[in-house]
Amino acid sequence: MSNPPASDASRPATYYHLARAVLYREYLIFVRYPANAIGGIVIGLIFFGFLFYGGRLLAGQAFTDSIEGLVVGYFLWSLSVGAYSSISNDIGSEVQWGTLERHVMTPFGFAPVALLKGVAKVVRTFLTSGVLLAVMLLVTGSTLQLHLFTVVVIAGLSIVSVLGLGFAAGGIAVLYKRIGNWLNLLQFGFVGLISAPAFDLGWAKLLPLAHGSALLQQAMVDGVRLWEFDVRALALLVGVAVGYLGLGYVVFRAATRRARRLGVLGDY
Amino acid sequence: MTGRNRGLTATGDGDAGDGSVQSSAAGVDDPSVDPTDDAGERDAVEGRTATARSGVAIAVDGLSKRFGDGPDAVTAVDDVSFEIRSGSIVGLLGPNGAGKTTLVKSILGMILPDAGTVEIDGIDVRKRPRAAYSRVDAMLEGARNDYWRLTVRENLRYFATIGGIDPDSVAERHERLLEQLELAEYADTAVRDLSRGMKQKVSLASVLAGDASVVFLDEPTLGLDVESTRTLEREIRRLAEERGLTVVLSSHNMDVIEAVCDRVLILSDGRLVADDTVDALRRQRGAQSLAVTSRDLTADVRADLEDRFAVTTVSHSGESTSIEIEVDGAELYDAMALLRDRDVRIDRLSTVEPDLEDVFVDLTGRQESER
Repeated sequence: MSNPPASDASRPATYYHLARAVLYREYLIFVRYPANAIGGIVIGLIFFGFLFYGGRLLAGQAFTDSIEGLVVGYFLWSLSVGAYSSISNDIGSEVQWGTLERHVMTPFGFAPVALLKGVAKVVRTFLTSGVLLAVMLLVTGSTLQLHLFTVVVIAGLSIVSVLGLGFAAGGIAVLYKRIGNWLNLLQFGFVGLISAPAFDLGWAKLLPLAHGSALLQQAMVDGVRLWEFDVRALALLVGVAVGYLGLGYVVFRAATRRARRLGVLGDY
Repeated sequence: MTGRNRGLTATGDGDAGDGSVQSSAAGVDDPSVDPTDDAGERDAVEGRTATARSGVAIAVDGLSKRFGDGPDAVTAVDDVSFEIRSGSIVGLLGPNGAGKTTLVKSILGMILPDAGTVEIDGIDVRKRPRAAYSRVDAMLEGARNDYWRLTVRENLRYFATIGGIDPDSVAERHERLLEQLELAEYADTAVRDLSRGMKQKVSLASVLAGDASVVFLDEPTLGLDVESTRTLEREIRRLAEERGLTVVLSSHNMDVIEAVCDRVLILSDGRLVADDTVDALRRQRGAQSLAVTSRDLTADVRADLEDRFAVTTVSHSGESTSIEIEVDGAELYDAMALLRDRDVRIDRLSTVEPDLEDVFVDLTGRQESER
């Protein structure tokens, strides 16, 4: 036996190693295959172009006066779509590649792996949506208050709730393969959630995105800093984020458990 | 073949009821078990059972899985029990739909069984999946099992981490693995740019990249050419010996099973119908035969042969006669001596060995016809 036993020098991986591995993989895919990200930005811009020039054509000055609100809303929508579809599509791809099982079969447990994947998707989405935001500001000539810390925290917490929906959709897609594509349509429903504050509905605050959207408007349009918000408003933002993320994970767990019972986990 | 024991105990269909564990492994000497260490205390802390200490890597007891309800229900795995000792390579055979994949996925917890327990290194997979998953990895049939957009080395590092091992601590092992699987030259190539055979090897490498002591390989040579299949067979054996790996290898390719496995489990209709070494299964099918073709095999000679040996086949073609005689050990010399004494000039001579495929067809075919 010329080689030493394999486990001689091995050390257990920590959550740090896990986070590094998952985020590094996302980074590699992002820099090596930029076409996806660039394509997303271009499509986002074209869509925004239609909205902006079409709106100006139809509503004239009234539209131009509210352009900051539109830019913020569109920024949040692109973040939401990015977070939602990337995680639900990612789960679908992992099923197809046979890598989902390997992430379920990890000594870390699937939850931290999935959460880190979610974080990786959010970081990636922030980068692409940041570029989109910059171009939108240039095109519209509008100005916003861009206090990075405040914007990242508020927008980040807002889209965590959507990430939860993405997990739920991904889980349902594991169980019912064909439904996955239809669930992608849900992202258009985010428009309604993001504009919900405009209707001033009390209970709407409990929906994903709605309350976060209102806070993000205040932060980016009115320049309210994170510490200037009412604590209860921030607590609600965190509560909604954690609540929907937890709910999404519960749905994902239930769906994958049923898939394991039916023997369809990993079937494609 | 040092370092590998041939011990596998089974409580298949026939004796599953008593739940006992029979040690059929004569001469098994497991170097991993040190009676003087504090294994008891450590195992108690880790929640491992007695099977871990007895050198059993996989213990499956009464595993059953049905899909569907009522008359349409299909029993994919039917009360299967067996144990596999650490360091052995066990083949899992069965016709399509026999329940191989369901059995493997049920062992891994990817399918939830209706009944039965599974222990990996003495850890109950159902009760303590995370602890069990630090010991096991799998290459499942028809799946990529890795990321094609990452390079070979990146895959190894990623899946080592997912398997619970700091990739920096096993970097040297990864290099060795790449060398052994002839992938070193492609270490920094994206997997998508490799040939099918190479991709298959990367998939295997990624399964071995962590610290798993038990690996399941479902059709690892599927779609590979002869040369790649042989390389993979050789490397699976070598890696198993070097690392003391326990391998469960499922394949339709009997040659792969014969070349690689110490023992074979044969499934048919969800039931375990055979569990033995390849040699023992072959012997069970019948002895080695001698096939002789000659124009001198007259009725008298044939009668003499039939008196002393078990003649299994006689056929005539023109003036020639072909005969198959079962010969066991020294009988070969006796048969040849008889032919010489009777002045039989041999036109063609060969030995016929029963192969695993014959055993497989016998067992699974019989099982089908009994139902």
